[in-house]
Amino acid sequence: MGAVGEYFLALGPASDAYDQALMDVGIALGERIRANEGAVTVDLPGVAEQVLRTDKFDAIYYAVRSPEGTALAGDAGLPPVPADSEPEEGVIAYDGEYRGEKIRVVAMLVPCGGRICVVQVAETINKRINLARDIVLSSLVPELVIVLMTLAIVWFGVKRGLAPLEDLSAEIRARSARDLRPIDPAQAPVEARPLVSALNQLFGQVAAASSNQQRFLANAAHQLRTPLAGLQAHAEIALAQGVPGEVRAQLEQVHRATIRTARLANQLLALARAEPGGFRPDAFAPVNLRTIVEDAADEWVHRAMAREIDLGFELSDAQVPGDAVLLREALGNLVHNALEYSVPGGRVTVRTGLRNRQPFLEVEDDGPGIPPAERERVLERFYRVTGTAGTGSGLGLAIVREIAAAHGAQLEIGEGDGVEGGNAGCKVGLTFPHG
Amino acid sequence: MIGRVRVLIVEDDAALASGIARILEGEGHAVDVMARGEEAVLGARQERFDLIILDVGLPGIDGFEVLRRLRAAGDRTPVLVLTARDALDDRVHGLDLGADDYMAKPFAMPELAARVRALVRRSQAQTGPKIVHGPLVLDTLARRAQLSGAPLDLAAREWAVLEVLLSRVEKIVSKESIIQAVASWGEELTPNAIEVYVSRLRAKLDPAGVKIRTVRGFGYMLEEFRERTAGQ
Repeated sequence: MGAVGEYFLALGPASDAYDQALMDVGIALGERIRANEGAVTVDLPGVAEQVLRTDKFDAIYYAVRSPEGTALAGDAGLPPVPADSEPEEGVIAYDGEYRGEKIRVVAMLVPCGGRICVVQVAETINKRINLARDIVLSSLVPELVIVLMTLAIVWFGVKRGLAPLEDLSAEIRARSARDLRPIDPAQAPVEARPLVSALNQLFGQVAAASSNQQRFLANAAHQLRTPLAGLQAHAEIALAQGVPGEVRAQLEQVHRATIRTARLANQLLALARAEPGGFRPDAFAPVNLRTIVEDAADEWVHRAMAREIDLGFELSDAQVPGDAVLLREALGNLVHNALEYSVPGGRVTVRTGLRNRQPFLEVEDDGPGIPPAERERVLERFYRVTGTAGTGSGLGLAIVREIAAAHGAQLEIGEGDGVEGGNAGCKVGLTFPHG
Repeated sequence: MIGRVRVLIVEDDAALASGIARILEGEGHAVDVMARGEEAVLGARQERFDLIILDVGLPGIDGFEVLRRLRAAGDRTPVLVLTARDALDDRVHGLDLGADDYMAKPFAMPELAARVRALVRRSQAQTGPKIVHGPLVLDTLARRAQLSGAPLDLAAREWAVLEVLLSRVEKIVSKESIIQAVASWGEELTPNAIEVYVSRLRAKLDPAGVKIRTVRGFGYMLEEFRERTAGQ
């Protein structure tokens, strides 16, 4: 568009200069007109005419007309002066066509023997087009460069200006649902600071709501434990006192229900602790998974003995940054499940160590295993594998999953390795990021 | 067997306190129950108890504070801490303050009774030269052992291993910690050697019902002696 405008603007000056040249020729021609007793002739020697007509780019024509319009000399076919034109100081320039080509004509009035004759000088417009093109090109190229440079500057400027916003978006996108720390407003561009502070306010509210809920759950679990301990104590005392069969069966029900409820309270508390806001990732300390197992093993071994299960250990050092209470809870749940779903005489093995330089913990049993189709679903809260006999709440693996997520660990459920007999066995493990 | 001891229970939940009292009375102990920490600090100062069972979550000053004040006053009475709060945090804190053992609520009564027996036994063992475990008696001064009344011949290494196991009845003792306790300075003992000593001990003790259990890949555990297991 700009270029088109440029072209027409360029044609004007180009025409003016060349019109002037044509006019000069016309004046020179006018001086060669001789009027002799009413007869008008042009005294133009052959050599002069040759000079006149010689041009590198364009064909040049001329004509001298009597006041009546009769061609007296030159190219009689040149288009006549338009009727509606108003000559300026006896000169007029106009466009026309001659011999099938566009031409530019300059006509002027010259005196000839007391009368006024018309001299027309015309040329094709190659020079004018060339000049216009040169003008356009010479201005267009720098203009194009300027446009490109402007575009580049704008692009870089906008990109640079938006970079902090991009960084901000990337940071928010990369956040896990657990990370409710405020964003540092100093990192955001000035324009985005109100946005950042609004986001921080929202993060704060979400974190507060979440920690309120955590506190409530934790308190509820704490408050439940003491009366449950009393209930369990009295049920056990009563059972120890040789009560009659009927009452004994009912007391045993009460006792079992109490233990289940106590475990549920513990698990809800564990879940509350493992959820976002329930723990402080910045308070993670180096923890040796092996030590966690060794410290908790007493408790597990007693339960295993009661169920006549061979609980064994294959332990190597495995350091991870983490929350010892949560990791112990995860291990406790895995061992509890393994003991719960193994048959008497079964074998359960707890392992810790490094595998491909990654710390891991794993519990394997030779029980019935978890069918592949159920392996995703067992991680859901309160889901229990259909047809299983255990008394679990269905929270154990959900807790383990939360704890794994809190530590960036991978939770895998598979079949046991060297299981004898018809059972698939079950191996559940956590693999932690290395380094 | 352990004798009759005086136990102070500091627990503000009446149902739980009475339950624990019933169990311990059933074991033949004399039991006092207090519901407040201040009361317990005062009570322990005025009278001598063999064991204090102390709840952490007391109204007024809490169990940890009671423990701190007792220990600050030079009272070395064994203390078993009960807590309804998060297991590990409280355990570490309690043990740092000088608790002897620790249980998370809720717990099974037989477990509590066993812990009480172990604590009392330990505190008595520290004051007396004899370690008693069912039919097994170790006289640490005379370095003589008896099983069901008859003299028991133990090699020095066997004696050392047995002493380690007896110090931690019902707890797993890792092979490494047995090696550390048994090996003389600068001497190398392999886990295999420990296995040999344990199997010799088993051969001698098993007929009397004293059981050493193997915990695969970890170590050994001397089971609490139960009368009914004696004849099996």
